Amino acid sequence: MRILDIAIKDLQQILRDRRAFLFIVAMPLVFTFFMGFAYRSMSQAPDPRLPIGLVDQDAGGELSQALGEGLAQAESFRLEAISAEQAENAVRSGKLAAALVVPPGFTRSVLAGTESQLELVVDPFSNRGQSVMEMVRPLVMHLYSSVEIAEMSLRAVESHIPFSSEVARQQELLAAFDTSWRAWDTSSEQGIAVEQVTSPPQAAHAEPFAGNPYNQASPGILVMFTLFGLITSATLLVQERRARTLQRMLTTALHTWEIMAGHLLAMFTLVLLQGLLLVVFGQLALGVNYLRQPLGVLLVMVSLAAWASALGLLIGTVAKGDEQVIVIAMISMFLLSALGGTWFPLEGAGRAFAAVGRLTPTAWAMTGFQNLLVRGLSFESTLLPFAIQLAYALGIFALAAWQFRRQAN
Amino acid sequence: MKILDIALNDFTRSVRSLFAIGMMVVAPLVITGLIYVAFSGAGSENSDLPIIQVGIVNLDQVPADVPVALGKTLADMYFDESVAGYIQPKIYPGEASVRSAINNQEIQAAVIIPAGMTAALMANQSVPPVRILQDPTLTIGPMVVKNMAQSLLDGIYGGSIAVQVHRQRFAVHGIAENSINLQSIIHDYEGWFTAFQRELFHSPQAALVLVTPQSAGEEAPSADPMAGILGQIMTGQMIFFAFFTGAYSMQSILKEQEEGTLARLFTTPTPRLTILGGKFLAVVFTVCGQGLVLLLVGRLLFKVQWGTPTSVLLTMLGQVASATGLGVLLISFVKHERQAGPVIGGGLTALGMLGGLFTVGMQMPEAFTRLANFIPQGWVLHAWRLSLNGAPSAEVFTTCLILVGMGATMFAIGGLRFNRRFA
Repeated sequence: MRILDIAIKDLQQILRDRRAFLFIVAMPLVFTFFMGFAYRSMSQAPDPRLPIGLVDQDAGGELSQALGEGLAQAESFRLEAISAEQAENAVRSGKLAAALVVPPGFTRSVLAGTESQLELVVDPFSNRGQSVMEMVRPLVMHLYSSVEIAEMSLRAVESHIPFSSEVARQQELLAAFDTSWRAWDTSSEQGIAVEQVTSPPQAAHAEPFAGNPYNQASPGILVMFTLFGLITSATLLVQERRARTLQRMLTTALHTWEIMAGHLLAMFTLVLLQGLLLVVFGQLALGVNYLRQPLGVLLVMVSLAAWASALGLLIGTVAKGDEQVIVIAMISMFLLSALGGTWFPLEGAGRAFAAVGRLTPTAWAMTGFQNLLVRGLSFESTLLPFAIQLAYALGIFALAAWQFRRQAN
Repeated sequence: MKILDIALNDFTRSVRSLFAIGMMVVAPLVITGLIYVAFSGAGSENSDLPIIQVGIVNLDQVPADVPVALGKTLADMYFDESVAGYIQPKIYPGEASVRSAINNQEIQAAVIIPAGMTAALMANQSVPPVRILQDPTLTIGPMVVKNMAQSLLDGIYGGSIAVQVHRQRFAVHGIAENSINLQSIIHDYEGWFTAFQRELFHSPQAALVLVTPQSAGEEAPSADPMAGILGQIMTGQMIFFAFFTGAYSMQSILKEQEEGTLARLFTTPTPRLTILGGKFLAVVFTVCGQGLVLLLVGRLLFKVQWGTPTSVLLTMLGQVASATGLGVLLISFVKHERQAGPVIGGGLTALGMLGGLFTVGMQMPEAFTRLANFIPQGWVLHAWRLSLNGAPSAEVFTTCLILVGMGATMFAIGGLRFNRRFA
């Protein structure tokens, strides 16, 4: 009962503070909604095609016409004809994702075997820029391939029937190019089919994150703000020590372990409640199917709350003042969130970073959520993340207990 | 001089605080540094990306007497020594086993080579697609696996197209089809394609020159893609924490009011305007100092090219003016220190979001972009983008003027409110 009393006292004290509402409830909700909105707006824009400009300085050239047709027919692009002067400004201002510049005399030069290069005006650091580069390169490859095939065919035909004039030779080259270009157009539609493996297989989606970008944003922010919320509860411990309430409690019949357990229980309850609130919000407002495997979600959340509250206890015992709590909690949040893949998937990070990141408890919490929400796996898939997070909770708690006892003595 | 003394006193107090230093300098650097450490190997020639475990299912079985086995060629590509640094392949017997391996996170992607692929290609029939199965939480690894398959298939399809074109052109000219040397065509095309791919690998600009938009006569933006990305990320962080610093430094006035030192100061012969002016000036010093440190560290540590000296100076001026102005305005509405936390934390986070500080590099909807035009943080971000992209100084100057105007207006309103409060 004493443990419960301490926990209830802590919770009342935390919830009376309006700041707690802001940091524990409002900010994570707003962030989840905002980040999901940002991802969604990219994938569900009214016209999701990337606007690309074509600066055709090779007027009437067969190769530039073919490129223009290729870009116009591509499902991913919305083609706009622009002038060379407008191209850089349009890309810099974001009006266009990129602009393909065909230099003067391009067709003539390429067919004559002399060097003439296409230019792609693009911001290579932006997502849109990288997507355009990825999509334009095959088109350019098909163009050069068609030219090569046309030249091979021309030489083969010429070895049987010499052409009467250079004009006839050029016409043959262009006809062969046209046949090859159209054949590429058909071939590029087949070839490779990509499938996201989800379980059961009939729920497979073509888009990442099982078709809902909130499947990544919602658990990511849940895990991150779990750590952010520790500021409020860890501050309580520091205040208790500074106001000498802790010392007063130690003069009573209460055991040290009871005081610790009471504080830990309060933090655990708070983190779990915050997580549940975000889960309900994710389920109802964002369409994240947490309730598909409620037991699995609960296992991940309980283990997350266990190590997060142990960490809160550790921060509360280590920090000397309120401001130190904020600094330590925020640095822990930044480190564990980034390393654990809540900001960005670890597959894009460097090898060493990803290897270290996969060891963090945040990464295991994310794996647990992703197994259920994105991979569509069963509740059993959360057992390993649950066990590892629980081991972390025990380790961190042992450290916090050692520090707490040291202070109590 | 008194105004300077008060400003320096407040400034010294700010930089002595561990919390202030943590939030003003360490936090933006930690965030940018983490991203730098995470991605510093990406994009380089010796890419440091995690190893991609790939499952291979080859259903394309060809009789022993058929000399070409395209499925085997495709499968062998993943076992090639040249990709051993980042691809770890494993043969699986069928689709069910690779699905299970993906679900168990033993592999990140699988390549399923369809049955009858070689036969269909040899007979010039429609070829069933090669299937790439992937873990739905990943994008980069499966994309590498797909691109490898695509590159080989492009070579195969290209050879097939070369044969088709020869047949069609020979038919047009009435040349007998049996005079086509199929082996020679495929061999020649493969030779060209391999050389083309090799050239692209060593020099991607061989086929397509990439041009980063910039203005003539200005310094070129960073050629290092990592520095470019970090520049954008660090800009967002720097702006967010500059506004935080503006408001946090101004909070000292509340602290002094609660501790009674402000009332004591007012009893001295120093005019109130000088005292308040000194406090405002301290905020300017702090925001300036923080900005300079972050710019310098960003340049030295992360190699961010912030822009020309003129652009950087103008943008910094706009940042300092608006961050100080908003700080004074926000704190003028706060009655005591306990209120300051939520107002600074909540208010600045919301404004940062709407100003686009947390979504740099993302393409946001038009309405959202328009909304950022009403928010100081949005304008500062715009100014830094211009500077980073090497826009003309005149363009940066206009944005700077708008920011100084915004800052002055907010400062005037906040200053008036403080003046009235302490009258």
